[in-house]
Amino acid sequence: MDVTTHTGTRLQDRVAIVTGAGQGVGEGIARRLGEEGATVILAARRAETGEPVAETIRAAGGIAECIVTDVAKGDSVQQCVDETVRRHGRLDIMVHNAFSGAVPHLLHEATMEKNWKLMSKTGVWACFFCARAAYPHLQESSRRGTGLGGGRLILITSPSGVEGSANIALYSPAKAAERAIAKSLAREWGPEGITVNCIAPVAGSPALAIAFERNPALKDAIEARTPLGRVGDITKDIGSVALFLASDDSSYVTGQTIVCDGGSFLGL
Amino acid sequence: MPSHATTINSQLGDVPSQARVIVVDISDIPSLAVDLTDDKIQELWEQPIQKVITELQDAHSSGCKRIVVVTPLIGMSGAAGYSAQAAVAEAARIVVKSAARQWGKDGIVVNAVALESAAYGIDESVAGPVSIAPRAMTNEVSAKGIVQWLCSEAAGDVTGQTFIVDGGSWM
Repeated sequence: MDVTTHTGTRLQDRVAIVTGAGQGVGEGIARRLGEEGATVILAARRAETGEPVAETIRAAGGIAECIVTDVAKGDSVQQCVDETVRRHGRLDIMVHNAFSGAVPHLLHEATMEKNWKLMSKTGVWACFFCARAAYPHLQESSRRGTGLGGGRLILITSPSGVEGSANIALYSPAKAAERAIAKSLAREWGPEGITVNCIAPVAGSPALAIAFERNPALKDAIEARTPLGRVGDITKDIGSVALFLASDDSSYVTGQTIVCDGGSFLGL
Repeated sequence: MPSHATTINSQLGDVPSQARVIVVDISDIPSLAVDLTDDKIQELWEQPIQKVITELQDAHSSGCKRIVVVTPLIGMSGAAGYSAQAAVAEAARIVVKSAARQWGKDGIVVNAVALESAAYGIDESVAGPVSIAPRAMTNEVSAKGIVQWLCSEAAGDVTGQTFIVDGGSWM
């Protein structure tokens, strides 16, 4: 079965928010959830990126809307969640993918401070913003679930959050923090039937495309070190893992990180 | 009353001049995620992790060749009611790996010691059990021995690692 052309009903009647859905991994996740019947809210910082993705989901028969959201601001995330529930009556799945500031830097250089603030805000603070805004609705989703269904929080981390990085040194602790938050919330919210998991992807994002453009040898190097020999597809490869974590199929999985990188990192 | 980090630090003994021990300082007061206001996130996440980063930078600029970061185990296990503190703990453990990768070529080794959460005043009956199995050992544990070794010449080829001191809970 080619999952890119498959449309189904695994998430029918569920409402999902995906942050950073205007491009890259967030876009792939939004598309895949939309293909399976979810009403998808694309929480993007700019309508110029979020709205075209929403339009392609609608053109394929799905239900999608863009709500302009700055994940670095708690009020903005709260407004996105409130507006989603006002329009659609519920929120079942919250995916936090947005992230900014991951540019190469030395740990000991003073200029990295600004980058850290951006990474901390869009990565870690935003996890807390998403968690606290979504929580009552995820609780409600679990209450109305049939036993397998329930609220889902999915955080997008990185293999670098496990193994560290020489190149983008502070990207790693920001992504590591997200994994610790997922484990903690899995414990905190488990009794209410809400699951919290992470995906650590390596996929063809715009950031990676720029990196390949700057350093053509990088693509060959990544493909050579990856057992599956290729960079992941945002929809087919990463979106499908998000679909699993969002669906009833993963009802007994929580606190976990699924590394989705073609087998490049095997250290978990 | 001294913080748990101060108490832990006082138990680690003196280290050579070219070594630095950084003890991650977190609050032992639980706070549910839904109650984490912006002020709380600043206090429980941003300030402690920035302190770790600043201390790492200071150790580097001071010419230290052996750096050890002591951090609570809840970063690896997660802890109900302590999501912000767990985030600090795990971020500190992983920035050690970044530092080890970046500074290794300069002969600087950086390692982490993950210390049982009880040393930080965190109760497993609140935070949740670290492991599905009971703690293997019954005695009190100390990070002094492993920290002293990591600060010594003998550990000069070891970098980017995490050593768990918890009496055999997390395996």
